[in-house]
Amino acid sequence: MFNLKKYRKRSPWILHYNAGSCNGCDIEILASLSPKYDLERFGIINTGNPKQSDIFLVTGPVTYRSRERLIELYIQMPEPKVVVAVGSCSCTGGVFRGMYNVEDGVDRYIPVDVYISGCATSPELIIDGLVKGLEILEKKTKSMEKPSKLFKDTTSREGIVSRRESALRVGEERDEEN
Amino acid sequence: MKKTIDIPLGSQHISLLEPVRFKFECENEKIIGVDSDVGFVHRGIEHACTTKFKFDGIGYVVARICGLCAITHSLTYTAGIEKLLGGEITQKAKYLRILLLELDRIHSHMLCLSHTCENAGFEAMFMRIMGDREIIMEIQELLTGNRVQFDFISIGGVNRDLDASRAKEIIIKLEIVKQKVLGYIDVFTNNWSLSLKFQGVGALSLDEAYRFNAIGPLARASGLNIDVRNEIDYLPFFELGFVMQTHTDGDINARNLVRLNEILNSLEMCNNTLEGLPEGDIFTKLKGKPKGEVLVRLEAPRGELMYYIKGGGKSMLERVRIKTPTFSSIPAFSHIFVGENYADAPAILASFDPCLACTAK
Repeated sequence: MFNLKKYRKRSPWILHYNAGSCNGCDIEILASLSPKYDLERFGIINTGNPKQSDIFLVTGPVTYRSRERLIELYIQMPEPKVVVAVGSCSCTGGVFRGMYNVEDGVDRYIPVDVYISGCATSPELIIDGLVKGLEILEKKTKSMEKPSKLFKDTTSREGIVSRRESALRVGEERDEEN
Repeated sequence: MKKTIDIPLGSQHISLLEPVRFKFECENEKIIGVDSDVGFVHRGIEHACTTKFKFDGIGYVVARICGLCAITHSLTYTAGIEKLLGGEITQKAKYLRILLLELDRIHSHMLCLSHTCENAGFEAMFMRIMGDREIIMEIQELLTGNRVQFDFISIGGVNRDLDASRAKEIIIKLEIVKQKVLGYIDVFTNNWSLSLKFQGVGALSLDEAYRFNAIGPLARASGLNIDVRNEIDYLPFFELGFVMQTHTDGDINARNLVRLNEILNSLEMCNNTLEGLPEGDIFTKLKGKPKGEVLVRLEAPRGELMYYIKGGGKSMLERVRIKTPTFSSIPAFSHIFVGENYADAPAILASFDPCLACTAK
């Protein structure tokens, strides 16, 4: 029988959006798709269509005008989906933090699963992060089938819900069932 | 009744590396009007340069305007500050700066060529050029320690020395790239899907290039011999064998050939730099605070980059104004689209090699 779950893991498609980055991380994503690093050996293809993609690669610190597009693209992607923040400026704002047109990181608007550091990040780190993302994608696929409570206890500090603590950083292992 | 159809391209599209939105007004297949929106990646760097950062750190901040021409941004800014401080840098530092500038130009042009191939549907050539581009990235890593954002240039010189063994390794790698580029020229002149299909598409005449203020490879492909390297004297370009590359056709094919010839010229300049690398220090300490106004220009991979810097004798600058190459070329871009088929739009767009991160700052 056609088993969607199995093939999703073997061939996740990525959607790439530049939310105000300097192109440095974008060309590194392109380089990691090129023959030397070759992400396609994991079945990964860069697609321009959000409705066909599983992994969302975001670069850049999210500018004022790109945030609506970012959220729109995130909403259009089907579940399960993984968001990977590529580069220092998409994790925290980086060197652009505090500039007047910048929103300081992707995780203020959409939940991020994997953070990849570096300015500019390297293709090795991108591959590492995407492979981590694949694990999370598999976990999310499984957890979609389980019945769950609609309202879950989130970690909150002084009333502010933080998704950063539940996200996985590259190089660290995730606790069982966060 | 309205007889035209509006077709949007962007802000997120597979053929775009970065967000830009075009609205094409089409009548059947033909484009009759273009509306472009380039401000999606505006971050406010010019304002931050005068309020947030001190002048000695701005060289690393302006490099983050654009990852493709990072070196040109920091070099232009640094050259301006060095003029204001009135110091002279060593000959070796100048040579290393030119070496990295030309390496950056090579990898930027190769990226543009591979994008043109991808948009022409020639996926194999795209992969081939991207694979060969990695050699240049390796050279940049050998020279500076990083692949994209180098942080190599500081006020007064460069941050990292080049020893003889690494210089030898770089010369060997440059020779490999040269052979590959000669192979590309063959493909780009004789292959149907790259050259013959693109002949006459997206043409810009010499008169139009002059009138619309086109710069960079876009202007040189139309026969307008404009190149900042030809006009400035604070870096020794002619000493290292700079020759201006022009073409007369002005179409997509001509732009590709101009880029390929520029790559060959840049490879030769890199070779000459490494062979004639002078001995000496790479860094001279410059004292004081910038006071006065200065206007600096330099040739980025896409054309003329201009910085205006005004300092008031304090560590915070009063004004930094950046005029980037793509911004100047937007009138020419919009003009070329009119009268072309909509199906050619992504290919024409890729042949401009637009850099929106530069444009919006």
